[in-house]
Amino acid sequence: MISLSSYLFISFTLFIAGIAVMIARKNIIAMMLGIELILNSAALNFAAYSRFVNNNLEGHLMSLFIIVIAAAEAAVGLAIVIRFFQIKETIHIDDAAQLQS
Amino acid sequence: MGQNYLASLSHYVPELLACLTMFGLILIEATYKEEEKGRGFFFLSAYLGLGSVMTFSFFSLSKPAVTIFTNSLVIDPFSSIMKVIMVLGTLLAVYITSQSKDIEGNLKPEFVIMATGVLVGGMLLSSANNMLVLFIGIETLSILSYVLASLRKGDDRSSEAGLKYSLYGGISSGIMLFGMSHIFGVLGTINFTEMAAALKGVETAQLAILMPSFLLFLVGLGYKIACVPFHMWAPDVYEGSPLPVTAFFSIVPKVAGLAALIRISHNFFAVEGALNIGWVGVLSIIGALTMTVGNVSAIGQRSVKRMLAYSSISHAGMMLMGVLVISELGTRSVIFYSLTYLFMTMAAFMVVSFVNDKYGNDHFERFNGLIFRYPLMSIALAVVMFSLAGIPPFSGFVAKFHIFTALLTKKYYVLAIIAGLNSVVALYYYLKIVRLMVLKDAESKDTIGGFNILNQSVVVALTVPVVLLGVFWEKLLLMADGAKIFIQ
Repeated sequence: MISLSSYLFISFTLFIAGIAVMIARKNIIAMMLGIELILNSAALNFAAYSRFVNNNLEGHLMSLFIIVIAAAEAAVGLAIVIRFFQIKETIHIDDAAQLQS
Repeated sequence: MGQNYLASLSHYVPELLACLTMFGLILIEATYKEEEKGRGFFFLSAYLGLGSVMTFSFFSLSKPAVTIFTNSLVIDPFSSIMKVIMVLGTLLAVYITSQSKDIEGNLKPEFVIMATGVLVGGMLLSSANNMLVLFIGIETLSILSYVLASLRKGDDRSSEAGLKYSLYGGISSGIMLFGMSHIFGVLGTINFTEMAAALKGVETAQLAILMPSFLLFLVGLGYKIACVPFHMWAPDVYEGSPLPVTAFFSIVPKVAGLAALIRISHNFFAVEGALNIGWVGVLSIIGALTMTVGNVSAIGQRSVKRMLAYSSISHAGMMLMGVLVISELGTRSVIFYSLTYLFMTMAAFMVVSFVNDKYGNDHFERFNGLIFRYPLMSIALAVVMFSLAGIPPFSGFVAKFHIFTALLTKKYYVLAIIAGLNSVVALYYYLKIVRLMVLKDAESKDTIGGFNILNQSVVVALTVPVVLLGVFWEKLLLMADGAKIFIQ
């Protein structure tokens, strides 16, 4: 029987995984995947709470909007990464160190 | 239901006009040929569109508060005045762009279009009344800001700034959503009014989930305001972006984030209790750190643009002081502060922009002896710097004074002392530039092309409110009272 707590556990794991990816990986594409993991964990949470606790549509609405906006954000992010790659010919985050103060 | 939505539209004219301006500008830009240099008609339409947005927001100041679109947005005098400030900031940033050489000619229209988009997001954020609209507002603001930061396509610093902005922005909005989802789970609704009602009956076990969730929620907003634990992106982005973009970032997203933060604080944390104590405690630590870190980092800078960018972080910390008192007085002081800060920072960035265009950089030495060559501009810059530092006859002092009053009414003495010490530190680097302008000899006798009569008069026109608001602030506050600036 899948209950609310299973969903919460999965989404929490996804969240931690996303944060870990952001901290550990040096590849910019991998870091953007980490952002997607975090956003999806939030979307899963909204859907699960809506289904098991609150029985209203607001949570589902939030999940849908999160998916749409995550796509928009990924599109803009990838465009910037491509531009960065064209200039520097690398997608390693340590090479983006020109603006250190 | 349908009629309800149509009736809501009549309160929503400023936002609709801003969207329309954006689409119109895209179409107008499409009609220009590749080799055409002048963009006179384009900028004229931009000024007209933004001007009409400002007029409509200004006229909705006197209207009573209403909630529209099934309670998802609230249009009250507070959100309207925040919109007026944001539109004014956008207008001035567009003017700086039209004069600046820091952005190439064919990219200027793109800046104007994106800036209008950011403005739409900011307007949404300042009148958001549920978490969905708040999230959409923040994302509209952020996604277009990433593009703005990396506007200079061929430049490696600009694209690096955009990259860092988008990575930090993505992770902070993800963390904010994770917090929101647990708040939704506990309170059962995404509407702020219903959430505030549900908050009154929470049990201790629920509080244990709610308090960390609200902390995560704060990350997203704190990132937009660039307050301290979430400010890592700010210096890099401010340095890498073109100068008009930096000027734009230092006012519009900050005001939008502050407006949302004020609304959230008043909705959820105005009642005494564990939540209130926790929220005010967190905000005071963040605010004190923001002021101090911004000021200390600004001291050692060589570039005036970087100095102004760091000082904008510390001013955001100062405005947070007005937010955390959670009273009508605090809100009014934040409104006054952001209005005066708008004029001060835009005048300063404008002068710096023209010096930067002439010499290719804006180091402090470039301002040596400016008073002998351009006395009017130097006096304007000096007035603005005195005002930013908070020296009496000018409006910066009155703004700071209001913040202190708000702090002292709630007996937050330690915060008031920290804020006072920070003002003293800020005095050093603001007066450094005045000292260089007046006491040093000029390096060269070249004329600075940017200082033509039109630009000089615009800078002077921006300096006039800085002086007038400092002297006649009582009258302005009376007007504000007449317009009933309060939060529902």
